[in-house]
Amino acid sequence: MMLLKKPLLRVLLFSLLSLLGASAAGIAQKQPQNVQVRIGAILASNKNDEFDSRLKPLEKQLRVLKYRSYRLLKDESQDVPWQGNKVFEIPGGRSLMVAPQEFQDNRIGLKVRLTEGQKPLLDTTVRISNKGNFILGGPPQEGGVLVLSISATAQ
Amino acid sequence: MNGCEHRVEAIERWLDGELNGAEAESLRAHVAECAECGEARRRLEKIQQTLQGVLLADAQQIKFQPFWRAVQLRINEKQPWYHEALERLRDTFPASRAAWAVPAVIALLLAAVSLESYLPFWRSSGRNSFATVESIDAYGRNVALLREYDTKTTVIWLYQDQEGENDAAEETAPSGPAF
Repeated sequence: MMLLKKPLLRVLLFSLLSLLGASAAGIAQKQPQNVQVRIGAILASNKNDEFDSRLKPLEKQLRVLKYRSYRLLKDESQDVPWQGNKVFEIPGGRSLMVAPQEFQDNRIGLKVRLTEGQKPLLDTTVRISNKGNFILGGPPQEGGVLVLSISATAQ
Repeated sequence: MNGCEHRVEAIERWLDGELNGAEAESLRAHVAECAECGEARRRLEKIQQTLQGVLLADAQQIKFQPFWRAVQLRINEKQPWYHEALERLRDTFPASRAAWAVPAVIALLLAAVSLESYLPFWRSSGRNSFATVESIDAYGRNVALLREYDTKTTVIWLYQDQEGENDAAEETAPSGPAF
Protein backbone atom coordinates (compact mmCIF):
# COMPACT_ATOMS: atom_id res chain seq x y z
CA MET A 1 0.00 0.00 0.00
CA MET A 2 3.00 2.26 0.51
CA LEU A 3 3.62 2.10 -3.24
CA LEU A 4 0.19 3.55 -3.93
CA LYS A 5 1.17 6.69 -2.10
CA LYS A 6 3.49 7.55 -4.97
CA PRO A 7 1.61 9.71 -7.51
CA LEU A 8 3.32 8.17 -10.52
CA LEU A 9 2.30 4.65 -9.55
CA ARG A 10 -1.26 5.79 -8.87
CA VAL A 11 -1.37 7.41 -12.31
CA LEU A 12 -0.03 4.28 -14.01
CA LEU A 13 -2.49 2.08 -12.17
CA PHE A 14 -5.39 4.36 -13.09
CA SER A 15 -4.34 4.41 -16.75
CA LEU A 16 -4.03 0.64 -16.82
CA LEU A 17 -7.47 0.19 -15.31
CA SER A 18 -8.94 2.66 -17.82
CA LEU A 19 -7.42 0.74 -20.71
CA LEU A 20 -8.63 -2.58 -19.34
CA GLY A 21 -12.13 -1.17 -18.90
CA ALA A 22 -12.18 0.21 -22.42
CA SER A 23 -10.92 -3.08 -23.84
CA ALA A 24 -13.58 -5.01 -21.94
CA ALA A 25 -16.26 -2.65 -23.24
CA GLY A 26 -14.91 -3.03 -26.77
CA ILE A 27 -14.95 -6.82 -26.56
CA ALA A 28 -18.47 -6.75 -25.16
CA GLN A 29 -19.60 -4.56 -28.03
CA LYS A 30 -18.29 -6.97 -30.63
CA GLN A 31 -20.53 -9.84 -29.55
CA PRO A 32 -24.06 -8.96 -30.73
CA GLN A 33 -26.50 -11.86 -30.74
CA ASN A 34 -28.81 -10.86 -33.57
CA VAL A 35 -29.30 -8.30 -36.26
CA GLN A 36 -32.59 -6.52 -36.56
CA VAL A 37 -33.17 -6.09 -40.28
CA ARG A 38 -35.79 -3.62 -41.37
CA ILE A 39 -37.11 -3.42 -44.89
CA GLY A 40 -39.20 -0.51 -46.11
CA ALA A 41 -40.84 -1.17 -49.47
CA ILE A 42 -41.68 2.11 -51.19
CA LEU A 43 -43.47 2.92 -54.41
CA ALA A 44 -41.78 5.81 -56.21
CA SER A 45 -43.56 7.31 -59.17
CA ASN A 46 -44.29 10.51 -61.05
CA LYS A 47 -48.08 10.20 -60.90
CA ASN A 48 -48.57 12.96 -58.37
CA ASP A 49 -46.70 14.94 -55.71
CA GLU A 50 -47.80 12.88 -52.73
CA PHE A 51 -45.18 12.14 -50.10
CA ASP A 52 -46.10 9.55 -47.47
CA SER A 53 -45.58 11.13 -44.04
CA ARG A 54 -44.34 7.77 -42.67
CA LEU A 55 -41.32 8.16 -44.92
CA LYS A 56 -40.28 11.44 -43.33
CA PRO A 57 -37.06 9.98 -41.82
CA LEU A 58 -36.03 8.80 -45.29
CA GLU A 59 -37.11 11.91 -47.18
CA LYS A 60 -33.64 13.32 -47.84
CA GLN A 61 -32.38 9.96 -49.09
CA LEU A 62 -35.41 9.37 -51.31
CA ARG A 63 -35.33 12.86 -52.87
CA VAL A 64 -32.00 11.84 -54.39
CA LEU A 65 -33.96 9.54 -56.72
CA LYS A 66 -35.83 12.49 -58.32
CA TYR A 67 -39.30 10.96 -58.36
CA ARG A 68 -42.28 13.12 -57.46
CA SER A 69 -44.27 10.72 -55.36
CA TYR A 70 -43.26 8.28 -52.63
CA ARG A 71 -45.61 5.91 -50.84
CA LEU A 72 -44.76 3.28 -48.22
CA LEU A 73 -46.16 -0.09 -49.31
CA LYS A 74 -44.76 -2.25 -46.55
CA ASP A 75 -42.55 -1.92 -43.51
CA GLU A 76 -41.25 -5.07 -41.86
CA SER A 77 -38.61 -5.86 -39.23
CA GLN A 78 -37.17 -9.24 -38.36
CA ASP A 79 -34.45 -10.40 -36.01
CA VAL A 80 -31.92 -12.43 -37.93
CA PRO A 81 -29.20 -14.49 -36.22
CA TRP A 82 -25.62 -14.16 -37.34
CA GLN A 83 -24.84 -16.55 -40.16
CA GLY A 84 -28.57 -17.20 -40.48
CA ASN A 85 -31.01 -15.63 -42.93
CA LYS A 86 -34.59 -14.43 -43.19
CA VAL A 87 -36.84 -13.90 -46.17
CA PHE A 88 -38.98 -10.79 -46.51
CA GLU A 89 -42.00 -10.79 -48.81
CA ILE A 90 -41.85 -7.79 -51.09
CA PRO A 91 -44.80 -6.37 -53.11
CA GLY A 92 -44.95 -7.55 -56.72
CA GLY A 93 -44.41 -11.23 -55.94
CA ARG A 94 -40.82 -10.63 -55.00
CA SER A 95 -38.84 -11.70 -52.00
CA LEU A 96 -35.70 -10.48 -50.34
CA MET A 97 -33.38 -12.83 -48.49
CA VAL A 98 -31.07 -11.12 -46.02
CA ALA A 99 -28.17 -12.91 -44.31
CA PRO A 100 -25.93 -11.04 -41.83
CA GLN A 101 -22.33 -12.06 -42.37
CA GLU A 102 -20.16 -10.31 -39.81
CA PHE A 103 -19.89 -7.34 -37.48
CA GLN A 104 -16.64 -5.43 -37.56
CA ASP A 105 -15.72 -1.85 -36.71
CA ASN A 106 -19.37 -1.10 -35.98
CA ARG A 107 -20.28 -2.13 -39.50
CA ILE A 108 -22.50 -5.00 -40.51
CA GLY A 109 -21.85 -7.17 -43.52
CA LEU A 110 -25.10 -8.23 -45.23
CA LYS A 111 -25.66 -10.68 -48.03
CA VAL A 112 -28.83 -9.71 -49.90
CA ARG A 113 -30.68 -11.60 -52.62
CA LEU A 114 -33.70 -10.18 -54.44
CA THR A 115 -35.83 -12.64 -56.35
CA GLU A 116 -39.00 -12.40 -58.41
CA GLY A 117 -40.81 -15.70 -58.19
CA GLN A 118 -38.05 -18.22 -58.71
CA LYS A 119 -35.99 -15.83 -60.81
CA PRO A 120 -33.04 -14.10 -59.10
CA LEU A 121 -32.82 -10.40 -59.83
CA LEU A 122 -29.86 -9.38 -57.74
CA ASP A 123 -27.22 -10.83 -55.45
CA THR A 124 -25.10 -8.42 -53.49
CA THR A 125 -22.93 -8.19 -50.41
CA VAL A 126 -23.03 -4.84 -48.69
CA ARG A 127 -21.31 -3.50 -45.59
CA ILE A 128 -23.32 -0.84 -43.80
CA SER A 129 -22.91 1.11 -40.56
CA ASN A 130 -24.69 -0.33 -37.57
CA LYS A 131 -28.16 1.28 -37.64
CA GLY A 132 -27.43 2.56 -41.10
CA ASN A 133 -29.20 1.72 -44.35
CA PHE A 134 -28.85 1.56 -48.09
CA ILE A 135 -31.31 1.86 -50.93
CA LEU A 136 -32.06 -0.83 -53.46
CA GLY A 137 -34.43 0.13 -56.23
CA GLY A 138 -35.44 -0.08 -59.82
CA PRO A 139 -37.86 -3.00 -60.37
CA PRO A 140 -41.09 -1.74 -62.00
CA GLN A 141 -44.10 -1.56 -59.70
CA GLU A 142 -47.63 -0.23 -60.20
CA GLY A 143 -46.66 2.35 -62.80
CA GLY A 144 -43.61 3.41 -60.89
CA VAL A 145 -40.63 1.71 -59.41
CA LEU A 146 -40.05 -0.26 -56.27
CA VAL A 147 -37.55 1.21 -53.83
CA LEU A 148 -36.32 -0.75 -50.83
CA SER A 149 -34.68 0.79 -47.80
CA ILE A 150 -32.64 -1.92 -46.10
CA SER A 151 -31.34 -1.14 -42.64
CA ALA A 152 -29.67 -3.27 -39.98
CA THR A 153 -29.08 -2.89 -36.25
CA ALA A 154 -26.79 -5.17 -34.24
CA GLN A 155 -28.41 -6.36 -31.01
CA MET B 1 26.93 20.09 39.58
CA ASN B 2 24.21 21.98 41.42
CA GLY B 3 21.46 20.98 39.02
CA CYS B 4 22.30 23.83 36.62
CA GLU B 5 23.09 21.64 33.59
CA HIS B 6 19.86 22.70 31.98
CA ARG B 7 20.92 26.34 32.23
CA VAL B 8 23.89 25.94 29.87
CA GLU B 9 21.66 26.23 26.82
CA ALA B 10 19.94 29.29 28.29
CA ILE B 11 23.37 30.86 28.88
CA GLU B 12 24.27 30.23 25.24
CA ARG B 13 21.09 31.93 24.11
CA TRP B 14 21.72 34.78 26.53
CA LEU B 15 25.20 35.33 25.12
CA ASP B 16 23.73 35.25 21.62
CA GLY B 17 21.21 37.93 22.69
CA GLU B 18 18.21 35.67 22.11
CA LEU B 19 16.57 36.07 25.54
CA ASN B 20 14.04 38.78 26.30
CA GLY B 21 14.66 41.43 28.95
CA ALA B 22 13.13 39.66 31.95
CA GLU B 23 14.70 36.27 31.11
CA ALA B 24 18.12 37.85 30.53
CA GLU B 25 17.93 39.80 33.82
CA SER B 26 16.89 36.72 35.80
CA LEU B 27 19.69 34.62 34.30
CA ARG B 28 22.26 37.38 34.76
CA ALA B 29 21.37 37.54 38.49
CA HIS B 30 21.64 33.73 38.80
CA VAL B 31 24.99 33.56 36.97
CA ALA B 32 26.39 36.29 39.23
CA GLU B 33 25.65 34.14 42.28
CA CYS B 34 26.19 30.61 40.92
CA ALA B 35 29.79 29.56 40.57
CA GLU B 36 29.01 26.67 38.22
CA CYS B 37 26.98 28.85 35.85
CA GLY B 38 29.58 31.61 36.08
CA GLU B 39 32.17 29.11 34.97
CA ALA B 40 29.95 27.93 32.15
CA ARG B 41 29.46 31.53 31.03
CA ARG B 42 33.20 32.17 30.98
CA ARG B 43 33.84 28.98 29.05
CA LEU B 44 31.18 29.79 26.45
CA GLU B 45 32.40 33.38 26.09
CA LYS B 46 35.90 32.11 25.47
CA ILE B 47 34.70 29.69 22.80
CA GLN B 48 32.65 32.43 21.19
CA GLN B 49 35.58 34.83 21.13
CA THR B 50 37.87 32.19 19.64
CA LEU B 51 35.39 31.31 16.92
CA GLN B 52 34.73 34.96 16.17
CA GLY B 53 38.43 35.61 15.83
CA VAL B 54 38.96 32.70 13.45
CA LEU B 55 35.92 33.57 11.34
CA LEU B 56 36.86 37.24 11.08
CA ALA B 57 40.40 36.35 10.06
CA ASP B 58 39.12 33.96 7.39
CA ALA B 59 36.42 36.31 6.20
CA GLN B 60 38.97 39.01 5.48
CA GLN B 61 40.67 36.67 3.05
CA ILE B 62 37.48 35.91 1.13
CA LYS B 63 36.91 38.09 -1.94
CA PHE B 64 33.20 38.89 -1.87
CA GLN B 65 33.37 41.39 -4.70
CA PRO B 66 33.18 38.88 -7.59
CA PHE B 67 30.43 36.98 -5.79
CA TRP B 68 28.21 40.05 -5.39
CA ARG B 69 28.97 41.11 -8.95
CA ALA B 70 27.76 37.72 -10.19
CA VAL B 71 24.63 38.01 -8.07
CA GLN B 72 23.98 41.47 -9.52
CA LEU B 73 24.46 40.13 -13.04
CA ARG B 74 21.95 37.34 -12.42
CA ILE B 75 19.43 39.85 -11.08
CA ASN B 76 19.86 42.15 -14.06
CA GLU B 77 19.88 39.29 -16.58
CA LYS B 78 16.93 39.53 -18.97
CA GLN B 79 14.77 36.39 -18.86
CA PRO B 80 13.63 34.85 -22.15
CA TRP B 81 9.99 35.53 -23.09
CA TYR B 82 8.82 32.01 -22.31
CA HIS B 83 10.37 31.96 -18.86
CA GLU B 84 7.54 33.90 -17.26
CA ALA B 85 4.92 31.82 -19.08
CA LEU B 86 6.57 28.64 -17.87
CA GLU B 87 6.66 29.94 -14.33
CA ARG B 88 2.96 30.78 -14.48
CA LEU B 89 2.17 27.40 -15.97
CA ARG B 90 4.16 25.71 -13.24
CA ASP B 91 2.23 27.66 -10.61
CA THR B 92 -1.14 26.87 -12.20
CA PHE B 93 -0.41 23.20 -12.90
CA PRO B 94 1.93 21.80 -10.33
CA ALA B 95 3.49 18.42 -11.09
CA SER B 96 0.95 16.52 -8.99
CA ARG B 97 -1.96 18.06 -10.94
CA ALA B 98 -0.30 17.39 -14.29
CA ALA B 99 0.20 13.76 -13.26
CA TRP B 100 -3.57 13.38 -12.92
CA ALA B 101 -4.18 15.21 -16.16
CA VAL B 102 -2.48 12.46 -18.21
CA PRO B 103 -4.89 9.63 -17.29
CA ALA B 104 -7.77 12.10 -17.41
CA VAL B 105 -6.92 12.91 -21.04
CA ILE B 106 -6.59 9.17 -21.82
CA ALA B 107 -9.98 8.52 -20.21
CA LEU B 108 -11.57 11.37 -22.19
CA LEU B 109 -10.13 10.07 -25.46
CA LEU B 110 -11.37 6.56 -24.73
CA ALA B 111 -14.78 7.95 -23.82
CA ALA B 112 -14.93 9.88 -27.09
CA VAL B 113 -14.04 6.75 -29.05
CA SER B 114 -16.59 4.67 -27.12
CA LEU B 115 -19.32 7.29 -27.37
CA GLU B 116 -20.31 6.07 -30.79
CA SER B 117 -21.11 2.65 -29.40
CA TYR B 118 -23.41 3.89 -26.69
CA LEU B 119 -25.22 6.87 -28.21
CA PRO B 120 -27.28 5.93 -31.26
CA PHE B 121 -27.96 9.51 -32.36
CA TRP B 122 -24.23 10.24 -32.34
CA ARG B 123 -23.68 7.83 -35.16
CA SER B 124 -26.23 9.08 -37.66
CA SER B 125 -23.99 11.88 -38.85
CA GLY B 126 -20.83 10.04 -37.93
CA ARG B 127 -17.88 9.09 -40.01
CA ASN B 128 -17.82 6.24 -42.46
CA SER B 129 -21.60 5.84 -42.68
CA PHE B 130 -21.61 5.07 -46.40
CA ALA B 131 -22.63 1.56 -47.27
CA THR B 132 -19.90 -0.29 -49.14
CA VAL B 133 -20.88 -2.66 -51.91
CA GLU B 134 -18.46 -5.57 -51.85
CA SER B 135 -19.97 -7.67 -54.60
CA ILE B 136 -22.92 -7.44 -56.92
CA ASP B 137 -24.49 -9.73 -59.49
CA ALA B 138 -27.56 -8.53 -61.38
CA TYR B 139 -27.81 -11.65 -63.55
CA GLY B 140 -27.16 -9.80 -66.79
CA ARG B 141 -29.35 -6.79 -65.99
CA ASN B 142 -28.07 -3.24 -65.89
CA VAL B 143 -27.19 -1.99 -62.50
CA ALA B 144 -26.08 1.44 -61.34
CA LEU B 145 -24.39 2.41 -58.11
CA LEU B 146 -24.82 5.85 -56.63
CA ARG B 147 -23.23 7.48 -53.63
CA GLU B 148 -24.91 10.65 -52.50
CA TYR B 149 -22.59 12.62 -50.27
CA ASP B 150 -25.03 15.02 -48.57
CA THR B 151 -27.09 12.23 -47.04
CA LYS B 152 -24.32 9.60 -47.20
CA THR B 153 -26.66 7.33 -49.08
CA THR B 154 -25.64 4.38 -51.20
CA VAL B 155 -28.14 3.39 -53.89
CA ILE B 156 -28.13 0.20 -55.94
CA TRP B 157 -30.40 0.71 -58.92
CA LEU B 158 -31.61 -2.03 -61.25
CA TYR B 159 -32.84 -0.89 -64.62
CA GLN B 160 -33.53 -2.26 -68.01
CA ASP B 161 -32.92 -0.99 -71.50
CA GLN B 162 -35.91 0.00 -73.60
CA GLU B 163 -35.91 -3.50 -75.07
CA GLY B 164 -35.34 -5.19 -71.72
CA GLU B 165 -37.38 -7.89 -70.22
CA ASN B 166 -39.56 -5.57 -68.11
CA ASP B 167 -40.92 -3.53 -71.02
CA ALA B 168 -44.41 -4.50 -69.94
CA ALA B 169 -44.19 -1.99 -67.14
CA GLU B 170 -46.24 1.13 -67.48
CA GLU B 171 -44.47 3.94 -69.20
CA THR B 172 -44.74 6.40 -66.32
CA ALA B 173 -41.78 4.68 -64.72
CA PRO B 174 -38.45 5.69 -66.27
CA SER B 175 -36.49 2.78 -67.62
CA GLY B 176 -33.08 4.08 -66.59
CA PRO B 177 -31.98 5.45 -63.28
CA ALA B 178 -33.77 8.68 -62.51
CA PHE B 179 -30.86 10.33 -60.70
